[in-house]
Amino acid sequence: MQEFSGLSLQGVLDTLGVIVPLIAALVIGTLIFQYFLYKILNNVVKTSYALPYTLLAPAIIAILLFTMYPLLYNVLLAFSGLTSKTFNCYSPVATGVCKLDHLYGFDYAAKNFTDVFFRVKDGEILGWGRLLRTADSTFPVLLGRTIVWTGINVVFHFFIGLALALIMNQKIRFKGIYRSFIIIPWAIPGIIVALTWKQEFHAQYGFVNNLIEALGGQGISWLRDPIPAFAAVTFVNIWLGVPFYMVMLLGGLQSISPDYYEAAQMDGANSWQRFRAITIPLLRPILIPAITLDVIWTFNKADLIVAMTGGGPQESTNILVTAIYNAAFGSAATFELGFASAFSIIVFFILFFFAVIWITTSGGLKEIYER
Amino acid sequence: MSVLTQPASLPPARKIDRGRNWPQIRMYAGAAVAALGLVLTVVDQMNIGWIIILGWLGLLVWKQWHAILAFYSVISIYPVLRVISVSLRPGSGLLSRDLAIIPTGATIESYVKIFTEETFLHWVWNTLSITLAVSAVGVVVAATGAYAFSRWRFPGRRPGLIFLLTTQMIPAGMMIIPIYVIVAQLGLTDNIIGLMLAYISTAVPFSIWILKGYYDTIPPDLEEAAMVDGCNRMEAFWRIILPLSTPALSIVFLFNFLAAWSEFLVAKVVLKSPTVWTWSLGLNDLIGTFNTDWGKYAAGSVFVTIPVLLLFTWQSKYLISGLTLGGVKS
Repeated sequence: MQEFSGLSLQGVLDTLGVIVPLIAALVIGTLIFQYFLYKILNNVVKTSYALPYTLLAPAIIAILLFTMYPLLYNVLLAFSGLTSKTFNCYSPVATGVCKLDHLYGFDYAAKNFTDVFFRVKDGEILGWGRLLRTADSTFPVLLGRTIVWTGINVVFHFFIGLALALIMNQKIRFKGIYRSFIIIPWAIPGIIVALTWKQEFHAQYGFVNNLIEALGGQGISWLRDPIPAFAAVTFVNIWLGVPFYMVMLLGGLQSISPDYYEAAQMDGANSWQRFRAITIPLLRPILIPAITLDVIWTFNKADLIVAMTGGGPQESTNILVTAIYNAAFGSAATFELGFASAFSIIVFFILFFFAVIWITTSGGLKEIYER
Repeated sequence: MSVLTQPASLPPARKIDRGRNWPQIRMYAGAAVAALGLVLTVVDQMNIGWIIILGWLGLLVWKQWHAILAFYSVISIYPVLRVISVSLRPGSGLLSRDLAIIPTGATIESYVKIFTEETFLHWVWNTLSITLAVSAVGVVVAATGAYAFSRWRFPGRRPGLIFLLTTQMIPAGMMIIPIYVIVAQLGLTDNIIGLMLAYISTAVPFSIWILKGYYDTIPPDLEEAAMVDGCNRMEAFWRIILPLSTPALSIVFLFNFLAAWSEFLVAKVVLKSPTVWTWSLGLNDLIGTFNTDWGKYAAGSVFVTIPVLLLFTWQSKYLISGLTLGGVKS
């Protein structure tokens, strides 16, 4: 078989031979399952919701299997002493010596969860825990940095996105061209964005410094110094997030009927009053979910930072989610999966706590489930 | 006339003519600024920085909104042009400090190298097979599930919807760790099936969320009319709702496709050996610690980005309507 760039016809057929039967089996199995489920629900259980439950069944099963099971397993891992040294104990396929006398227990959990916050020696708390074994990566520092990171990003996304959407909502020429240019950052694969900007922030060969020097300024070693590194990563994430807001808000603006503005204008409202009284309230159903999603996405933005800086230099770009990743798999890692699981559960609850407060105060979800 | 509220169809209120023609004055002033830039360029040894900066200032004076949009468009597109530029550089000029878009001695050397020196096509094929499978499964599973959420008030609906939103809050690390351990225990590391299963876990909840919002905007009267005419519920869904939802379905497919196509962290943890790498791992390795090949990296990036960009622009009409229709009440 001829091979080109690592790929041969046989290789393609092999992959297809695995994937196509798998998908076919999934689809056919699902249909058969749904048929019988509907018969049972309709004739045996006699619920009036037989059809919706049948329609939902595949999604529920997929979520239980692929989302819930890993999540619950993650909780179990927080009760384990799983590290690279004890991996053999937990794997049914690996062979090797296991030095643990028990696999899961509250003693592991107690240690894993305390390690997230405190440094403990002989039952005495010495201070904040140093995650990743470095001086300044303690829990409060990481939490504070994550909040600053999320705040800056969301504010800039929102204001730049809104400004662009308002400008584009006018009668303006070349609108289509501008729009397709501006949404480009959104369309580029995230990892390409991260790796490309990493190179463009290179102190010597990146265009950012070359441009600064061409304009007569002094180049900055962006990814080597703590504050410039944080600025660089934040800039890239703002660049990435603006198109999402622009698209969402532009769609929202276009759906507002001009009649409202006409009526307000006749009543003598000036443009700021019209903006406050018409545009903002009518954009609310789009704004609240957009901001909610953006806060969550930014808070959880691990891949960009891992690919650009890995959380460095001197931990200056390390936020909570990257710290989890680094604890489990990063280069400075000790492969402490039990500890990382406990850490991730705590981070999840922090985000969940903020999200619940935000959603209940803004009433954002009412739009969605009270139709 | 204000940018804050200018509605698309309302003609601007007629200003009282004070004897000055502002648009024309601004046009001449802008042209003067741009002309100054041209002069300075010629005087300052053909330094094109002057014409770029003063030309833009001229545009700002003449038509301020176009100037702002043009400025932001340049910010959006310049890094992309840079990647193309680096991919065209000859081997000797890779580490150049040149800012020009078309490099001196442009060549397609890097494009040949990425295919011949690396197993790039294999990486792309691995990614493509995973991505298509995940997107298809996501759309199929979500299409009917979201319909149930949209049309019936069954017990468990509200907790279900809140749960779907909650899955969005799961930190990356929280899924990666159990997925890695499960995959390792099952002996599925270095197997793309393991990665596919991992991606489905994020694709399904998000797809349901978007599709449900879209179905909500389709009036139930449509299906009721069809059912009066003798369709049953599923026929009505199949013949009326699904065709009407093409925009949303393609959005969901597109989002799942984009998410899986460029996923990096889970793939990095699950796939170790180069023969099963996705392109994101391959390209990351090209500019990794031990190996800095910007030319090959840039050429590879152009290859994997162009299909996605085309898909995106082709779908951008649907993209905007699909996303926003879910949010606005009809």
